[in-house]
Amino acid sequence: MTMSTLRGTAITARIGMWLGVAVTVCFLTGLISHFIQHPQPWFYWPANPVWLYRFTQGLHVATGIAAIPLLIVKLWSVWPKLFERPVIGSPLRLLERGSILVLVASMIFQLATGLMNIAHWYAFEFFFTTVHYAMSYVVFGSVIVHIAVKLPVIRQAFGEPLDFGLPDDGRPVRRRTVLRGTWLAAGVATVATVGQTVPWLREVSVLAPRSGNGPQGLPVNRSGAEAGVLKTARAPDYRLTVSNGDAERTFTVDDLANLTQTTLQLPIACVEGWSRNAEWTGIVLADLIATVGGGPDADVRMISLEPPGPYSRTVLPARHARDGRTLIALKVNGQTLDIDHGFPCRLIAPSRPGVLQTKWLTRIEVVT
Amino acid sequence: MIRVLLGAAGLALIAYGAVLLLDNPFPTLLRIVIWAAAGVVLHDFVFAPLVAAFGYAGRRILPKVWWVPVGVAALLSVTLLLLAIPVYDRPGAKPFNPTVVDRDYPLGLWLSLALVWVCTLAYGGFRCVLARSAGQNTPKSLPVGEDEVVDQQRAGHVDRQPPPV
Repeated sequence: MTMSTLRGTAITARIGMWLGVAVTVCFLTGLISHFIQHPQPWFYWPANPVWLYRFTQGLHVATGIAAIPLLIVKLWSVWPKLFERPVIGSPLRLLERGSILVLVASMIFQLATGLMNIAHWYAFEFFFTTVHYAMSYVVFGSVIVHIAVKLPVIRQAFGEPLDFGLPDDGRPVRRRTVLRGTWLAAGVATVATVGQTVPWLREVSVLAPRSGNGPQGLPVNRSGAEAGVLKTARAPDYRLTVSNGDAERTFTVDDLANLTQTTLQLPIACVEGWSRNAEWTGIVLADLIATVGGGPDADVRMISLEPPGPYSRTVLPARHARDGRTLIALKVNGQTLDIDHGFPCRLIAPSRPGVLQTKWLTRIEVVT
Repeated sequence: MIRVLLGAAGLALIAYGAVLLLDNPFPTLLRIVIWAAAGVVLHDFVFAPLVAAFGYAGRRILPKVWWVPVGVAALLSVTLLLLAIPVYDRPGAKPFNPTVVDRDYPLGLWLSLALVWVCTLAYGGFRCVLARSAGQNTPKSLPVGEDEVVDQQRAGHVDRQPPPV
């Protein structure tokens, strides 16, 4: 076997460090998104700034994509070790090789299924979010085990010059070139996709799963037809019910339109990493809650016309419910909401995943 | 000590992830294992050997001045091709939601690949011209054929440390 002297620890350690940074960023931003959707008493997620979730989740997906070329080059730099003898050896060596197998397998798994998921390609036939969440602990844990095992090698590699051990014979490819090529590839991967959350790059992000276009200038994750609300949302007897214990009020679409309207710029940010700013017009949720005597310290449940399913009802924490920028929107970008954006009315709150911005609202309950 | 702590923390995290995964019914678990194994097998025994073969062939066919630009272009191309797999044929397209995978991905992929390789040709050509004009002004540093001898040497030929005096 020909083994290029380019491969080796000098490159592995340096790219490995950045890959470790990428995995950490993905892990932490992923945990944030998980705990917003599965709130825990100890978890605090602010409503301010309004773009915070847009940033963390955009970063999550963009970092995962940028990690793909890093992983390719990292694996390239160590691949010949796969065939080192003995194949099994001592128990310690077996343990080390086993931990690397878990690391590589979980990492490829996580990046591949993540990339498929943002393109809505569910060929893997399991529920993505729970598996992605569970596997993230395996990936992050095996990175830490790997660092523990390799710490002396890593220290040595960073202590030596990058091209240590390469004959100085004017050969055309230096290790520095490999590193620069890798950073370039990570940059190209980012530019090719990040336009789905960074609007000024949308024209060059030719491989982004979303162009950013859609009805009223916004993409849609779940259309009215998919949710099965085309008839109920447009029915003449549609009413929005707002309740607080026994107190209850119902509103027609006209009633809602006659309440004080507020117009705000708020981003809609999907868990899949796309996001867009839009101008939303509607009633401040806190005002609507006040009509049934709801206070600022209660969580608020949002119930959709959509038949029961994982996202047909959500609970908005009190911190977001009392925020003056949380709207029950009737309009977006100056037009009555498209059915795919949640006509007749939807929730739009600052710094929340799009999947929790419940559309086609039928009932708003103060949780008592 | 720090290695032991790191190792223990890492193993605990892996174990927690495994416990969460084990919540899945057996058929789902099997699918997860198959997908994870397929990724490793595809990389280690299909992708990596192909890369090694292309690298080996490239070093023999291409003049040295082209090794860097073609190598980098190959990495960029592989990255773009991988990113294109889930969108190229729009397998996730939905009849009732035209905003998902809504670009012309074949056009985007081929344009971006063309851009990579046009830049590569331009850069390599520029380097060729530079190398040629430099070659006319200065004598070759090594006699004919000797550079090939050096080329065949590998890391094993070079002592890691200077010999003790």
